Amino acid sequence: MTDTHSGVMKYVPGFIFCIILGWLALQWDQSIHKWQKDNQESEKILKPYLNEGKPLLPFDEYVAKSEEKYKEKLSAFEHGDIKEKPKKPHLLQKIHYETIASTKEIPFKFRFGERMIQFQLTYVAVLLLGGMLLRNTIGLPKFILPGTVIARPVIKPGIVLLGGYYLWSNLLKVGIFALLLVLIFIVGTTVLVSIIGRRMKQDDGLMGVMAAGTGICGVSAAVAVAPVVNAKPRDFFYAVGTILLFGTVALFTFPYIGKALGMSEPVFGAWVGTAILNTAQLVAAATWYGHDSLLTANIINIVRVGFIPLVVIYCIWFYVIRQAKTEGRHQKINTWQVVKEKFPLFILGFFAMVTLNEFGVFTEDHRTIFGKQFLQIFFAVGFAGVGLNIAFDDLKKAGGKAFVIGFLAATLKAVLAAVVVILIGSEAFRVK
Amino acid sequence: MAEIREFEDKAKKVFSAERKEDIWVLILAAITVILGLTGVITPKTFPSLFF
Repeated sequence: MTDTHSGVMKYVPGFIFCIILGWLALQWDQSIHKWQKDNQESEKILKPYLNEGKPLLPFDEYVAKSEEKYKEKLSAFEHGDIKEKPKKPHLLQKIHYETIASTKEIPFKFRFGERMIQFQLTYVAVLLLGGMLLRNTIGLPKFILPGTVIARPVIKPGIVLLGGYYLWSNLLKVGIFALLLVLIFIVGTTVLVSIIGRRMKQDDGLMGVMAAGTGICGVSAAVAVAPVVNAKPRDFFYAVGTILLFGTVALFTFPYIGKALGMSEPVFGAWVGTAILNTAQLVAAATWYGHDSLLTANIINIVRVGFIPLVVIYCIWFYVIRQAKTEGRHQKINTWQVVKEKFPLFILGFFAMVTLNEFGVFTEDHRTIFGKQFLQIFFAVGFAGVGLNIAFDDLKKAGGKAFVIGFLAATLKAVLAAVVVILIGSEAFRVK
Repeated sequence: MAEIREFEDKAKKVFSAERKEDIWVLILAAITVILGLTGVITPKTFPSLFF
């Protein structure tokens, strides 16, 4: 009893630490978004003064005029003259409006918020970069570490809740392309790495975890496959090191590469869903890019993790059954047992949410609560765990020929996937 | 056959942690959905957590 108690208690400090970091990052995110909106509103207010020298309206008139404009647009929407429902105007607070009216300048914090959003320094970036810096400079006390590890899967309830945003028609439309991408790139990489590894006479244990890890789902797949291919602890760390190193590089560069290539949010979502190896890292990169990107990446990820049992079956066949056959032994595989044990259960929660939404259980408010607000809470705690667990020492464990094979395969997959998703285009991957 | 059983046992042990994790994930998501549907959490709850 005491052991169980202390077993649970060791996770508490680190987990609370992740909650605090998550809250601080969300507070930052709320502030910069508000300042950005204030900046855009300030520019709008100052425009007539700067362009035509017109005086600024008194605050009460500014509020009345904005509300009048909103009512006009709302009425046009209700009469079907405009398609999109107008959003409520974002009004400046009286104190800020009067400051701008007297100085004719936009306050520094508003411009700062705009700049932070331009550099995409949202809560995702703050948690990942900040967590990584903290872990690798000051370091973390030992009693914090276990809790930060269990904070990472807190991303998953967010993925389940996001299901409330989809209809089955969305899922099937994007799902067909997701299935194609998964089959071509993800299963293709797994098969390619295992064959090249065998040709280059690399150890089966090492190449088995590397093939599963670089192909399908990062660390989860490596964990699932390791016992099957009899991987040694050293092999496992080599493979996980390679997967984490690739994921870390991808996480911090892909959003900027996506912007540079002019990728739309759905295309970027499809790209990271295919190319980034680890659920937490791909969800982070997609969230970093935008909500539409996350909606697409999530479908690809759901299809992908659903393939874990198949990859395990492939690895059993490639490394155990086939090997036994060449040695003149006969071994069978219990397919149903593998599927039952390896199928990621949380996917069922996601599908349940899609079904509830299909039946009209969720209102627009519910979708906002689940798919935007509480999603951010779960993601923030999870991303804090992800950032704090990027340890350069772990990344250094990647090495040797196996690292070269794994890293090159993952890079090749990313480049080819980028070309394919750009060619397929936004509409195929757009969820709504 | 014994070898396969051994592999399966090992796989089961390693993966049971992930299975438990998934069950917690589902419980947490279900609690959030119930709180949302019963109106305990509203769209105003999230902004109220911040300054």
